[in-house]
Amino acid sequence: MRRLVAGLLVMLLAGCGEAPPEGQAGFAGLGADAEGFRQAGPEVTLRFPGDHGAHPDYRLEWWYLTANLEDAEGEPLGIQWTLFRRAGRPPSSLGEPGPWAADQLWMAHLAVSRGASHRVAERFARGTAAPRAPEARQAGVTVRPFRSWLDDWTLASRSEAPGADALDHLAVSASAGRGDDAFGLRLALDAQGPLVRHGEAGFSRKAEGGQGSMYVSQPFYRVAGEVVLDGERVPVTGRAWLDREWSSQLLGPGQAGWDWLALHLDDGHKLMAFRLRGDDGDVLSGSWIAPDGAVISLGPEDLRLTPLATREVAGHELPLRWRLALPERGLDLEVAARHPERWMPTAVPYWEGAVTVRDRATGEPRGVGYLELTGY
Amino acid sequence: MTGLGVALATLLSHYRRHPAQLVLLLLGLWVAGALWSGVQAINASARDSYARAEALFSSGLDTLERRDSAPLTRDDFIALRRAGLPVSPWLEGEIEAAGGERLTLIGLDPLTLPGDGPLGPGGARLGAWLSPPWQTRVAPETLAALGLDRETAPGAEPRLADGRRLPPLALAPSLPPATLVTDLAAAARLLGRGERLDRLVAPAGELAAAPEGYALTRAEARLSPGELTASFHLSLTAMALLALIVGLFIVQAALGLALEQRLGLLRTLRALGVPGRHLVGLLALELCLLGLAGALAGILGGVWLARALLPDVAASLASLYGTEIGTRLRLPWHYWLGGLGVMLGGLFLAGGGVLWRAARLPVLALGQAQAWRGRFHRQLTRQALAGAGAATLGLALWAWLAGRAPGEGLIAAFALVAALLLAGALWLPPLLATALAGLGRLARPWPLGHWALADLQLQLPRLALAMMALLIALSANLGVGSMVGGFRLTFLDWLDRRLVADLYLAPPPARLEALDAWLADRPEVAQRLPTASGDTTLQAVDGAASGRPVELFGITPGERLTATWPLLANRDGRAPAWTALAAGDAFVNEQLAIAEGITPGSRLTLAGPDGPVRLAVTAVYPDYGNPRSQVLLATPVLHRRFDARPGGLGVALRPDADTAGLTAALAERFGGEVTVRDQRQVKRLAVDVFERTFAITRALNALTLGVAALALLASLLAQGRERRRRLAPLWALGVPRGRLAGVQLAQLGGAALVTGLLALPLGVAVTACLVGEINVAAFGWRLPLHVFPGALAVTLATALGVALLAAALPAVSLWRTPPRALLAEEDSP
Repeated sequence: MRRLVAGLLVMLLAGCGEAPPEGQAGFAGLGADAEGFRQAGPEVTLRFPGDHGAHPDYRLEWWYLTANLEDAEGEPLGIQWTLFRRAGRPPSSLGEPGPWAADQLWMAHLAVSRGASHRVAERFARGTAAPRAPEARQAGVTVRPFRSWLDDWTLASRSEAPGADALDHLAVSASAGRGDDAFGLRLALDAQGPLVRHGEAGFSRKAEGGQGSMYVSQPFYRVAGEVVLDGERVPVTGRAWLDREWSSQLLGPGQAGWDWLALHLDDGHKLMAFRLRGDDGDVLSGSWIAPDGAVISLGPEDLRLTPLATREVAGHELPLRWRLALPERGLDLEVAARHPERWMPTAVPYWEGAVTVRDRATGEPRGVGYLELTGY
Repeated sequence: MTGLGVALATLLSHYRRHPAQLVLLLLGLWVAGALWSGVQAINASARDSYARAEALFSSGLDTLERRDSAPLTRDDFIALRRAGLPVSPWLEGEIEAAGGERLTLIGLDPLTLPGDGPLGPGGARLGAWLSPPWQTRVAPETLAALGLDRETAPGAEPRLADGRRLPPLALAPSLPPATLVTDLAAAARLLGRGERLDRLVAPAGELAAAPEGYALTRAEARLSPGELTASFHLSLTAMALLALIVGLFIVQAALGLALEQRLGLLRTLRALGVPGRHLVGLLALELCLLGLAGALAGILGGVWLARALLPDVAASLASLYGTEIGTRLRLPWHYWLGGLGVMLGGLFLAGGGVLWRAARLPVLALGQAQAWRGRFHRQLTRQALAGAGAATLGLALWAWLAGRAPGEGLIAAFALVAALLLAGALWLPPLLATALAGLGRLARPWPLGHWALADLQLQLPRLALAMMALLIALSANLGVGSMVGGFRLTFLDWLDRRLVADLYLAPPPARLEALDAWLADRPEVAQRLPTASGDTTLQAVDGAASGRPVELFGITPGERLTATWPLLANRDGRAPAWTALAAGDAFVNEQLAIAEGITPGSRLTLAGPDGPVRLAVTAVYPDYGNPRSQVLLATPVLHRRFDARPGGLGVALRPDADTAGLTAALAERFGGEVTVRDQRQVKRLAVDVFERTFAITRALNALTLGVAALALLASLLAQGRERRRRLAPLWALGVPRGRLAGVQLAQLGGAALVTGLLALPLGVAVTACLVGEINVAAFGWRLPLHVFPGALAVTLATALGVALLAAALPAVSLWRTPPRALLAEEDSP
């Protein structure tokens, strides 16, 4: 599941009546009614490559890429490239959209981090669900060939061999700032495994009331390319994880935010886990992904996710060290942020940063990954 | 009550016995304070408007336009964004409210608008903003134009003149006045723009160079409204300062009188054991109390005055500089404190001398009520010397200004005017005293005349201050009046010669070609005079680096235009200058010529789209009312060498042409797209602008003169009783009361006549300063010095009238006093 900050869009686009008071709308707004939109559910059948594209009949959607990289000396770097889409109205209710219609709101986030350095940029664009040529859109997603963009920030297919998935070979690029302040990335991504459907054949349940999202990942990317940070070009290699998620009603009422983890374990397994914090208790869920892409869904009975220590970052008390245990698999891990200062001071702020994974008993390194904390 | 309390109450009891003095004091403070703080309120309010306008948009944003002068569209925006350029779309146009008020409608895209301003993505609830029915942000002072008030406005959807409705209103006090801001989509609908854009904006300096096919105007190439109007506000401040000084003259006169009449009281208090230091302290406390009361009243009066004048000021600023300021006052807290500070400071300056003298009076001398009148002669000598000092300072400033490039030293020019007025004022009492002494010798054979002159000499110390105030007010009035009158003559002549076309058409750029082609086929049209405009930077003059932003303007040097278009200087005569312009040379306006020392023959280097463009200057032309530096080129040359925007189109008609018919045909062919103005309309508009601009000047001037008249009246009333006491013996000697009243009028009238005569050369000198230095520095143009004999006569008449008016009240009261009362007053202390 993911994420996030679609909350921003919720807050921005919320009509006067439905929005909670300004500033607190945040993530709770994701539980708002979704009248007129399609609902995610276990009965929805996924079809690719069509489902790599946008779903304007759902309210929310994102293309979310995080990567754990290292430079030639082995020093770790982290990057994030995200495109969010939020529909203001269902396509069926559109009248005749003018040239500047804003029934679809697009938002993109870029972050590049190394050590104490954490650079963030965000961009916005308006769009419409009405038919329009791709070159006449400031932001959008096309399926053949796969291409997602906002301005000159793009995540697009490099080559599409027949029979391969459209997301198998991607190029991502984005940049912001100028001169010594410049930062950005230009990376090639090559999938070493198949697409992964989470939950019930791609439907990820988020609340007791049936709320949830369609949730697909490509966690098997090998990455090579170049990152620009503080005006310096750094050749990098590493691993990346792409999340695709769309929904019309993500959270149940009374759910305030979530803690989410996506881990690349050294033995080739991938592990996704999240905790939705709610008034009536937490919802715990995850996926255990074998190196060949086979998925086992994890429920509350399979999964223990416990904060070990909190720390104040940008005025928020955040759990940056976790115990993650899968007792049935004999797995007891300690997950800790590489650096606490990964706050995303975006229009709706959140925390997103790289983590290290160690065996809790021996302290041996077991992998790397990304942690996301929202609604704090 | 403590001893000091009793002493204070005793001191203040003076005003209970002489309430007129208290009223005068407070009146002086009130009037002076009201004028000063009124103008400050106007300035503060205008600055607030500028700050809001600058914070929101104008400064800090570079703008892009297409080089081929085709309108910008959504495609341009998308293509540039996808190339990674941080541009944001911008729509701006006029709409007409149902009541007929024209308002600026701005449509913007908060998602791409740079910065985190009040409309940046982080600052607003975008839901209502981006989705139908959208939202209109409006400053509270704009609501009146929409027929709404603060209570009814939020959520209202006011109807426009064309019947359509605005999106629901939301109040945004930080917006500039007469401006509506809404989403791009809503604005495109209301303005009928479709996919067209008026501008693409980018954060200042963010684009290293203009993208291929586009022209970039840097934010710094456009002056901000605050810079443009600085000189206007400085002039207002100078006039307010003048009023404050004249008002403080009244205060000082009243204070001096109140102290003098209390000398006996002070002596008694000293004799009762109140230390001298305490007495001075008590007087200072009294000054403070009076000052606070007067200052508060003054500031409140100022706010009222500002409210009355602001619409005029707003109209002049809008037409002079194109900057909108609110017509409702917005006063920051420091305005109130600053006003109070200046008023109290001025009061202590005026009262300080009185306190100082009271502190230095020897106890024994306190008994002599005329203690310091005896020193009047020494004071006259000191005044004459100080006047000489002020005159020397004036001369030095004049010499310094003469040695500088014209247009520099606005403050020095104001200081020169101040020095001139001060010298005149300081010299007035010695001059009057000398004249009286001389006349007194001549008048020996006529006893009553001789007495009147001697008596006037005795009154002089008290009258002197009021006469000085009158002199200053008269000279300033004459100076400013002559300047305005001279400017009016010059301006009207210039307007006549410059408005050569019969019709002025303003089409949207996209329709220009069609319009031009259509006009070419009309038999009524003798000549089409297309204009164009652009912005660039003057890089160098004759090789010396500059960097000044300049406006480019293109005209068509046809026969109609070259015959009358006014020129100030040219190299080889008018005809060759026009030939050279058509061939590619440039003219510059007077503002630019003065600012950069450009003369015909100079060579300019301007920043062009493909590198520096070098041009020879062949003439300088007057350009009244334009706040900017301008370079004039032939329209085709401007199009060829710069990124010019097509401007309006002047149309010269054949002598027998049917203007109304052509206008009707135009309206039928192009509908509302082309604005048509005929020459008369344009001229009326320009003259309106002129009149409004100087309306406030005239108003302030008249008020200052009123304050001076009040000062004179105050002095006369204050010494009324004393005067009557002195007249009583004359009456007893057999001089009829009517004659006595006549003598009084003659005394004052004579003094005022001398004052008026001195005001004449002083006023002309002030005019010379205004047209030769201050106008050049403030506006950038020099005017010929006009002296109007009528204005001189009016000044003299005003001096006499004011003096006689002020003397009339005491004279009438003398006339009506029963003779016995006169004698009774002789006995009273």
